[in-house]
Amino acid sequence: MSVFSTIVSQIFNGLQSGSVYALVALGYSMVYGIIMLLNFAHGDIIMVGAYIVWILMSFLALPPAIGAVAAVAGCTLLGVAIEKVAYAPLRKSPRLSLLITAIGVSFFLENAAQLVMGAGSKPMPTIIKGTNIEIGSAHISFVSVVTIIVSVITMLLLTLLVQKTKMGKAMRAVSEDMDSARLMGININRTISFTFAVGSALAGIAAVLYSCAYPQASPTMGSMLGLKAFVAAVLGGIGSIPGAMIGGFAIGLLEALVSAAGLSVWKDGVVFGILIIVLIVKPTGIMGRKMNEKV
Amino acid sequence: MLEVNSINVYYGPIHAIKDLSFEVKSGEIVALIGANGAGKSTVLKTMSGLLRSKTGSIVFDGKDIKKTEAHRIVRDGLAQVPEGRRIFLQMTVLENLEMGAYTQKTVSDAELENIFKLFPRLKERSKQIAGTLSGGEQQMLAMGRALMSKPKLLMLDEPSMGLAPLIVEQIFEIIESLNRAGTTILLVEQNAGKALEIANRAYVLETGEITLSGTGEELSQSDEVRKAYLGG
Repeated sequence: MSVFSTIVSQIFNGLQSGSVYALVALGYSMVYGIIMLLNFAHGDIIMVGAYIVWILMSFLALPPAIGAVAAVAGCTLLGVAIEKVAYAPLRKSPRLSLLITAIGVSFFLENAAQLVMGAGSKPMPTIIKGTNIEIGSAHISFVSVVTIIVSVITMLLLTLLVQKTKMGKAMRAVSEDMDSARLMGININRTISFTFAVGSALAGIAAVLYSCAYPQASPTMGSMLGLKAFVAAVLGGIGSIPGAMIGGFAIGLLEALVSAAGLSVWKDGVVFGILIIVLIVKPTGIMGRKMNEKV
Repeated sequence: MLEVNSINVYYGPIHAIKDLSFEVKSGEIVALIGANGAGKSTVLKTMSGLLRSKTGSIVFDGKDIKKTEAHRIVRDGLAQVPEGRRIFLQMTVLENLEMGAYTQKTVSDAELENIFKLFPRLKERSKQIAGTLSGGEQQMLAMGRALMSKPKLLMLDEPSMGLAPLIVEQIFEIIESLNRAGTTILLVEQNAGKALEIANRAYVLETGEITLSGTGEELSQSDEVRKAYLGG
């Protein structure tokens, strides 16, 4: 393989994993923006999504489209349910209680999955099939092209939702000033539920795309993916939607770069190194604004 | 239009509002004056449903809203311009106004034009991020935003706070013109002189209790009010 083809295929690898990180990071960032919670259970929602695909396609032998739609729907419902059951009762509690609860929900989901599905990993069926694309001597997998396109379209739709629709504007209003939003007649609980629904739907899409690239489901598959997406969200500026997108692609490309340099064992270390550097040098991240002091 | 009967509000162990009763009749401007920490903002927050009274009743437009959720109270026609303006600084001026109309089915152009007629500066700056506005413009935006919900009763919490005298003058003129146009006003002010000038009636609040009440004129001539709030 020539240097050119290595670079091209690594860029596509980076964009592929980057777009999955970005989708997951968006969920982290949106939830943090609205209730100041680092939802550490977010990664585990992806794991549940992957199992939904497995159950529907391998166990019930249904077509991929149904598996994908069910995974997105299932993740959405799960996200809303977690918020209602675990986080909503703590609305007036200190933020630390909320954070500890999120870690608890994460443990609960991982162990529940282990109990129901077993500790071993399940091989995923093929979700997307197609011929690979060749650019010069470089091979670009069909899956990675689909992943990038689906993610970009999803992010465009999300931006439209947040910027232009009434609900999207209400989300921004609530995340800026909750009491002021209530004085506008905005139903806070419904807006928070909606935010969890959108964030979890993105996680569902990420679950399907991730399962195409790494075709196995296991109870702990969400934790590493979730943590890296969390790093992406922090890098981009937690709470910022464009920041999460940029951070996701940056982390994906960085990983690919590290692998291309022959240092793939260092991949995870480099990502978490980034987290440490961001937190020391610029804790608000690339797009993060200085928080307005609320008096 | 608004009848408040013996409400008691607590912040944890602190008894902030003690057995408070007052009323605002349709078409009036009523002022609630008092020193810092007397509980004026607490009263307005309780009216809006952001805080809860343990006792009594808050009857607005014939309906007890003491237990109504904050977002429904706005729908019923009781809007508040909160202390410190609390506009959405990262959203545009127009988006702020749209949020004010959240309870309406659509953002009516006629209503928007009304607001822009009242506050021409907001029209010029409608695409601008609200955080870039001056203090006076932010106060105007906060008022315009509250008016977008077409309130029957508009509550204003310290609208003169931190503004230059000329702007304060303007804000009070606008409050009077809103009242003439049919909006009932409940005004909370530390600037007692200005508030009593335009108020039909007023209440004096001290550490959570009403100590005096009367017409704006009566109060501005009362010795106690002059000594405590009007500087002689």
